[in-house]
Amino acid sequence: MAEGKPRMIFLGPQHPGAPGNVAFKVWLKGEKVVKAELVPGFLHRGFEKMMENRWWEVDVVLSPRYCVEDPDNFELAYVLAVEDLFGVEAPEKARIVRTIVAEMSRIQSHLFWLMHMGGATGARYIPAWAMAAREEILRWYDYVTGHRIYHHYMTPGGIRWNVPKDFKEVTLKTLNRVMPMVKDIEDAFVNNRILRARTEGIGVIKGYVAVQLNATGPTLRAAGIKYDVRKVDPYEAYGDVDFEIPTGTEGDAHDRIVVRIREIYQSKHIIEQLVERVKPDDLNYRVKMPLLPPPTLPWPAVARHGEGMSRVEAARGEAMVHVVGIKDRKPYRVKLITPSMPLLTTVMDYIIEHEDVTIADLPIIVMSLDPCPPDIDR
Amino acid sequence: MALKALLLGMKYLFKRPYTMLVPEKEPPMTTEKTRGRHLLDMSKCVGCRMCQMVCPADAIKMYKVEGDFKQNPKKIFPGIDFNRCTFCALCVEVCPTGALSMTDITGWYMTTTDTRTNLRSPYDLAAELAKNEKPDFRVTITKQTFLYQTKKRG
Amino acid sequence: MSTVEGHAEGKDEILELIRRSLPPGKFKEVVPTRWPRRYIVFIDAWAIRPVMEALKAAGFDRFVAIEAIDWYNIEPVFELLYYVESVKLGGPLVIVRTKIPRNNPEIDTIRDIYPLAHWQEIENYEFFGIRFRGHPDLRLWILEDNWEGPPPLRKDFDTVKYVLETYYGGKKWERPVKRREPPPPRGEE
Ligand code: SF4
Ligand code: SF4
Repeated sequence: MAEGKPRMIFLGPQHPGAPGNVAFKVWLKGEKVVKAELVPGFLHRGFEKMMENRWWEVDVVLSPRYCVEDPDNFELAYVLAVEDLFGVEAPEKARIVRTIVAEMSRIQSHLFWLMHMGGATGARYIPAWAMAAREEILRWYDYVTGHRIYHHYMTPGGIRWNVPKDFKEVTLKTLNRVMPMVKDIEDAFVNNRILRARTEGIGVIKGYVAVQLNATGPTLRAAGIKYDVRKVDPYEAYGDVDFEIPTGTEGDAHDRIVVRIREIYQSKHIIEQLVERVKPDDLNYRVKMPLLPPPTLPWPAVARHGEGMSRVEAARGEAMVHVVGIKDRKPYRVKLITPSMPLLTTVMDYIIEHEDVTIADLPIIVMSLDPCPPDIDR
Repeated sequence: MALKALLLGMKYLFKRPYTMLVPEKEPPMTTEKTRGRHLLDMSKCVGCRMCQMVCPADAIKMYKVEGDFKQNPKKIFPGIDFNRCTFCALCVEVCPTGALSMTDITGWYMTTTDTRTNLRSPYDLAAELAKNEKPDFRVTITKQTFLYQTKKRG
Repeated sequence: MSTVEGHAEGKDEILELIRRSLPPGKFKEVVPTRWPRRYIVFIDAWAIRPVMEALKAAGFDRFVAIEAIDWYNIEPVFELLYYVESVKLGGPLVIVRTKIPRNNPEIDTIRDIYPLAHWQEIENYEFFGIRFRGHPDLRLWILEDNWEGPPPLRKDFDTVKYVLETYYGGKKWERPVKRREPPPPRGEE
């Protein structure tokens, strides 16, 4: 088998090493991977078209649904874009609460991913703690927003409901229960010798080449590039909080694990700063939105009217939303720019080209990039 | 290193599991804010179809109900298909009369055939709400609270 | 949020840099937007390759996406928006906007300049039917095996109606299960 034609097999979409609803066509020579091609589309639902058929504020319900793992950052991106188009600015309280909710979403997304990573490396029970920690956050979400997975808590113009009276205590309590578990995972899993042997030196993207491959998010930062939209283009309350951008040095799979764990600590740091500033009694958390967007000038006098844009750092990298509104109750066009596509196409191709990837390493590499395949399909 | 992992593992071995025995032992987990099954106050609903228009999942159909409803001349009321509903509460928010509200009944409680816990019709729910100080369920959000909040803000 | 005017007052180095580095005569206009550190370059469709090459040389190294807008009723064009940002310069974003005729949507590929553009072009081909000249691999990718109709994101095409008629037997609520023929056996690739 080692000689001769490469043999093509399917990996996914129901393989435990595949990151969800996505498949790969993998060409194998012996056990060496020669080429891997992404087969997306298992979860294509046509969000951009669906959003064109619904009202502005109703689209909030659709906006997080293309990424289960990290819903709030995408919801925030859509909400910010619509606010930008309508020229509405949310009250300060809403901005702070939305930042906290988005950071919690980042923590739970990274925890969920830790479980996946454990699945790919064969460590089964330690990452189950990550799921337990995530469960705490989901309960916090249920308490604050009313739902566990998709929250629909934000709306253009603010947040939909006031925070509960004991918001600060509950949030800090949740963090105090999550963080020891993260610490345990770090001790038992991340610094584990077996895991290090399994992940170090695998899937290396180091330095500027990550930018050239158009990678984003923790993959870019693990390559040693200090780039985070929260810093370079601050939105919401990120401008006035203090946090660091963790970066890696080697750019291998293990570095990406470490960077994400450190990001969890940074998120906790951000939440702890912001939660002090939330006043539950303050009822100024939602401003009324006009029904119609401001008038549009006909093309080509675009870009100054009738368009809104936002740029956020989701858990997987940079996400953008661009909305175009003619004077209508519905958007004319919503473009959702999501972070996962480069991770599974250009970055994967590069790794397979430059390394001896075996079929056993492939799930680890794919998982360490942490793609969220539904956001490729949308 | 391996020993440390083992010790940590022992620590978790004796913790209470996070999994819940739904439906045998425990009810679905809810909090005060959980958005669950809807409750329609038929003496308030005017049949304006606002809730149907706003619903992103197209879950609401209007049904004709015979009876003495003075405020609702067309006698149409929203019926919600819970298989489609996303529980986004937009219909509750948009309802101009406050006829729709939400309870915290979710998950298995909504679909069970067990008559002890099975949700009665909205009539029964409303009746229970009217006569009981402490009903089995919590009403989580209503238009009134929302209106109240808006009014307070001015 | 700074306005167009307020933003243009101070000296904007990145704006100057973009103006300086773009090949003269190949672009129409470089404008700052009301978003700080985001710029728009208007170009003609034929100039897409030199402009993108110049932008890459000027340090705009991370390609983000291609967006297409179908201005169906307003003007018979597709507008293409190329998003590029610069990690090197610390995060400014440039949107290159151009328009191509709606009845003959063709534009040069830039897949050899930015690697991600290869996949973004495929995506725009399947959702809008825009042909990228020089792209060797235009095909259904996300919609593969799921879609037989015209490009679904075009404005003149009613996706809901088409889907209901084609896949769900015209019914909105009860969906008949339609068995599809198994695909013909494929040889070894
Ligand atoms: S919006 Fe309220 S009043 Fe109008 S039909 Fe629905 S439930 Fe009845
Ligand atoms: S909660 Fe949302 S999805 Fe459910 S019926 Fe109301 S508007 Fe429709």
